[in-house]
Amino acid sequence: MTNTTEIDPAATPAGKPPPRRRRRRGSGWEGLIYVLPAAALVIVFFMIPLGMTIWMSLHKWPLMGKPRWIGLDNYSRMLGDRDFWGALGFTAQYTLAATVGLLGVALILALMVERPSRGVALYRTAYFLPVVTGFASASLLWAWLSNVDSGLFSPLAQMLGLTAQPVNILATFGPAFWSVTIMVVWKMAGFYMVILMSGLQSIPTDYIEAARIDGAKAHQRFRYITLPLVRRPFALALILCVSGSMLAFDQFYIILSGGPQNRTVTAVYYIFNESFVSFRLGYGSALSVVLLAILMVLSAIQLRLLRDRRES
Amino acid sequence: MKITTLTGALILAAIGVSGAAKADTFTMWVRSDGSEFMPKLVEAFNAKGGDQAELQIVPVNELVQKYAIAAAGGSAPDALSLDLIYTPAFASSGQLKDITELAKSLPYLDQLSPAHLSVGTFEGKIYGLPFSADASVLLWNKDLYRKAGLDPEKGPTNWAEIREAAAAVGALGDNTYGFYFSGNCGGCNIFTFTPLIWASGGDIFADDGNKATLDTPEMHAAIDLYRGMVKDGVVPPGAQTDTGANFFAAFANGNIGVTPSGSFAIGALNNQYPDLDYGVTLLPGQDGGVSSFAGGDNFVVSEGTDKIDAIKAFLEFAYSVEGQTILSHNGSLPVRADVAEAALAGLDARYLVSAKAMTVGRTPFSIVFNDLINSSNGPWVTMLNRAFFAKDDAEVQQAIDDGQEEMQSIIDAAR
Repeated sequence: MTNTTEIDPAATPAGKPPPRRRRRRGSGWEGLIYVLPAAALVIVFFMIPLGMTIWMSLHKWPLMGKPRWIGLDNYSRMLGDRDFWGALGFTAQYTLAATVGLLGVALILALMVERPSRGVALYRTAYFLPVVTGFASASLLWAWLSNVDSGLFSPLAQMLGLTAQPVNILATFGPAFWSVTIMVVWKMAGFYMVILMSGLQSIPTDYIEAARIDGAKAHQRFRYITLPLVRRPFALALILCVSGSMLAFDQFYIILSGGPQNRTVTAVYYIFNESFVSFRLGYGSALSVVLLAILMVLSAIQLRLLRDRRES
Repeated sequence: MKITTLTGALILAAIGVSGAAKADTFTMWVRSDGSEFMPKLVEAFNAKGGDQAELQIVPVNELVQKYAIAAAGGSAPDALSLDLIYTPAFASSGQLKDITELAKSLPYLDQLSPAHLSVGTFEGKIYGLPFSADASVLLWNKDLYRKAGLDPEKGPTNWAEIREAAAAVGALGDNTYGFYFSGNCGGCNIFTFTPLIWASGGDIFADDGNKATLDTPEMHAAIDLYRGMVKDGVVPPGAQTDTGANFFAAFANGNIGVTPSGSFAIGALNNQYPDLDYGVTLLPGQDGGVSSFAGGDNFVVSEGTDKIDAIKAFLEFAYSVEGQTILSHNGSLPVRADVAEAALAGLDARYLVSAKAMTVGRTPFSIVFNDLINSSNGPWVTMLNRAFFAKDDAEVQQAIDDGQEEMQSIIDAAR
């Protein structure tokens, strides 16, 4: 693909073809053919749906029946929609909690299993295993474990003497929220562990040894050698984690149904409700477009903050 | 000899050809509430040979969405057994085939459930025909009544008796509870909680569904009934977060004294839990009186289908004595009056109670029913959940005020 700019017909003087022009053009077409499958996938499964979403967001578009053009009405209505901003606020709160929890735990796990030693493969597998469970199945499992009447947590707490009565942890906001967040950390930490681990392993051992010879303590080696050098994989993990958490839906839908008292309705959950419970697909699309914009801004900020200083 | 063989072969061929030309297969969906009677009905219909029905059972909370998406993508089922409250919304959006002609060709049309037909008719045309019927009732566990020293043959007839029975059964301990309700399920509570209000003289809508009337003495009293039992500890703690998953299962497990439920439970309990000894009575008002939610499904046909003959054959089978008998033996009530008696013959008295509930039953109607009532984050269930588990009276009042305000604003926005 890099060659395509050079074969721009306007840029090549007519009548006096540069040497090897034919070959270059050929390789340009070849390049296009090579990327065609990927480009087709992106166009069919991303660009067209995105265009459709933007188009729909400019309509009053009921789930059943005929859509009607209303211009930017959906967007102006959104400004006064307290429930949506409330849902975004909760999503931000969850994203903060989940990101800190996930990356913290993932970093600890990565440091534990980074160097080859006895049984390390077993630990790596064990930490990664929950990642391959689907979010829906993990949520269903958790919903059952948290069930006060037939689950595990409440009877266990009672058996251990922590609580005198059965406690429905899903009925009050605090325990419900943390229960779901812990589930997410359990399920996803292994994934970020792998990303951070590959970063840790790419740090040359010479650096650490040199620092050790210079008399740097373990925490100093971590702070001044390891941390700066895992910046890139960390940035990747952070962006994946933040955008993933901003799009949280399954766990709150399945375990909590947005309860207690609708306090755990995330942004995507709210979009789902507008689209498929209230049947306002147009408004749901407008909300989706805004959420996409917010995610893009967030990712840009993170990339900027974590950019290598040498690059800039 | 040769001639007979030849004739036989010809006859066989003729049957084969005519069979291939006539028999058709149509697809049909039913919500999960119908998972007891519908497969049996379809099985009996298919066993007759000829036209075939292909059934898919869809989770009740996802049926509307799934259907709308399938319809938009051109893969809607040919027919659908649809919660009757949705018929006007579906018909008005042009998804359904006008089946007035089919309906008029049924000689017993005037015998079909009028409540179903009234919501199945839109702008003078018939889009939905009665298919299954379900009325809310009160169940009690006779074994637990005996253990608690209560009269096992006498169900509660007013709210005080509900509380007494719940307290007595709850006192048995040993993981036994007096009362159960799905505290975070809007659909379950419109079905089983509103009849308590109706039977006491109140209502939640006025003015043809254009006005929400939640802040009434009857609503307060009914909430206090549930809240009191929660406070007494006779309701399992899981009720607070049950979004309907346990609506049936809690009572079926045999450790609940009293629960409001539906006539669907009778068929399901008899088939799946034959050892459970339970009674059925009408949902009572505060000081007596009875009421019920008259629900069920309308049978609707997708606009795009070309299998109308096969669908008609299935409907005629469903309305026959055999079809109505299968329905009423598996959790639905008959919807055709002139054969109801024959269909219910031989069933125990519990079915007759629910058949009676249907006659005193009411159906609240609102064009934004899904938004108001069925949504798991809607104003109805949010209000009830807050109020049932409120710490003090002020919290109850606040929950009702908020619910009233949000409900009215949704109704106003839809007009």
